[in-house]
Amino acid sequence: MSSDFYTTSILPFAPIIIKICRAYTNTQEDFEDYYQEVCLQIWKSRENFREQSEWSTWIYRLALNVSLTLLKKKKNDPQHFASDSLPTELIEDSHAFADESLNQLYDAIKQLSEVDRAVILLYLEEKSYLEIADIIGTNPNNIGVRIKRIKERLKKILTQNNK
Amino acid sequence: MEKSIETIWKEGFLKNEALVAPKLNDLYNQKSIHIVDKFRRMYKINITAVLIFSIIVLPLSYFTNMPYMGIPMSILFSVVVFFSIKFKNKLDRIETSNNSYLYLSSFNNWVKEMVTFNTKMSRYLYPFVFLSMVMGFWFGSFGGDIPGEVFVNSLLENYPNMYLVFGIPLLMIAGAIFMITILAFFGGRIGNWDINLVYGGIIRKLDRMMSEMEELKASS
Repeated sequence: MSSDFYTTSILPFAPIIIKICRAYTNTQEDFEDYYQEVCLQIWKSRENFREQSEWSTWIYRLALNVSLTLLKKKKNDPQHFASDSLPTELIEDSHAFADESLNQLYDAIKQLSEVDRAVILLYLEEKSYLEIADIIGTNPNNIGVRIKRIKERLKKILTQNNK
Repeated sequence: MEKSIETIWKEGFLKNEALVAPKLNDLYNQKSIHIVDKFRRMYKINITAVLIFSIIVLPLSYFTNMPYMGIPMSILFSVVVFFSIKFKNKLDRIETSNNSYLYLSSFNNWVKEMVTFNTKMSRYLYPFVFLSMVMGFWFGSFGGDIPGEVFVNSLLENYPNMYLVFGIPLLMIAGAIFMITILAFFGGRIGNWDINLVYGGIIRKLDRMMSEMEELKASS
């Protein structure tokens, strides 16, 4: 990958990748691997960008797809993929951000299913229901109800964790 | 008053240090940890290995005087290579930048198709390999003698009334048929078990995500 491509086409959108990768990883090491992998896949797929959507939307889509189908390290996840059920005390990376509330929110997000994580991340990024449905490939009519349920679940988790 | 999750999100990311990109390490030479890439890499290695075997089995069987083993095995493994390349091409066409549902379903379909094909193929592969090996030994040539004939003659000395079909003891034919049936019956399961052992976790995770996507996709 040329450093030019990274600097001009990926780095300005790094916040999107960081926010997504953080939601699918539990350690700094995994996070860095995921970030690296997303960048690699963006570079590999760059010729498939058709300009039918915004470059940022395309990056959201790609980062989510890559995160949904990555191999986790055995050290943290002997089942490779069953990270959902990790108890909070095993999540090493629960202090990734300076803001403690944000860390708690991420810990709560990580307890959701992979698909729900994608939905809530896009919602928090202020994507419209239509955009969320377009990125995920689902029915926009169901997004609102799903978000409502996810928010309720997050509130419940946050309240429990703060007790 | 408790902050809403939207406020926590917005305020948390106001501080720039929250979004510092990690340093990339020699990205171009990094091995991908992405499962599609992993499948692709493993598939390529497998195809190359099978292709090499399908080629070297010919001179090998010639020099060991077992052409009846080498020729069918070479044909068999060439067919395996042919289908594997077709599968690899399908995998190459999976578009990472599709929407998540399309992307996951394309990959899920590919995995399912590959598993089904592997199961079916294993049902024929193991019996065929067994048959080729038996034929290779039976009709081969060791020091000018044909092992099958030597074996039958020695048996006939002890059991002169033994029933032969095309010069082969009926009991041996029955034994070979039994073995082939067992291999055909269990071949699919062995192949399936093998795939499950390596990719079971991925397949289960994909199934779970797909059913969740389907649920979200279905109109309310």
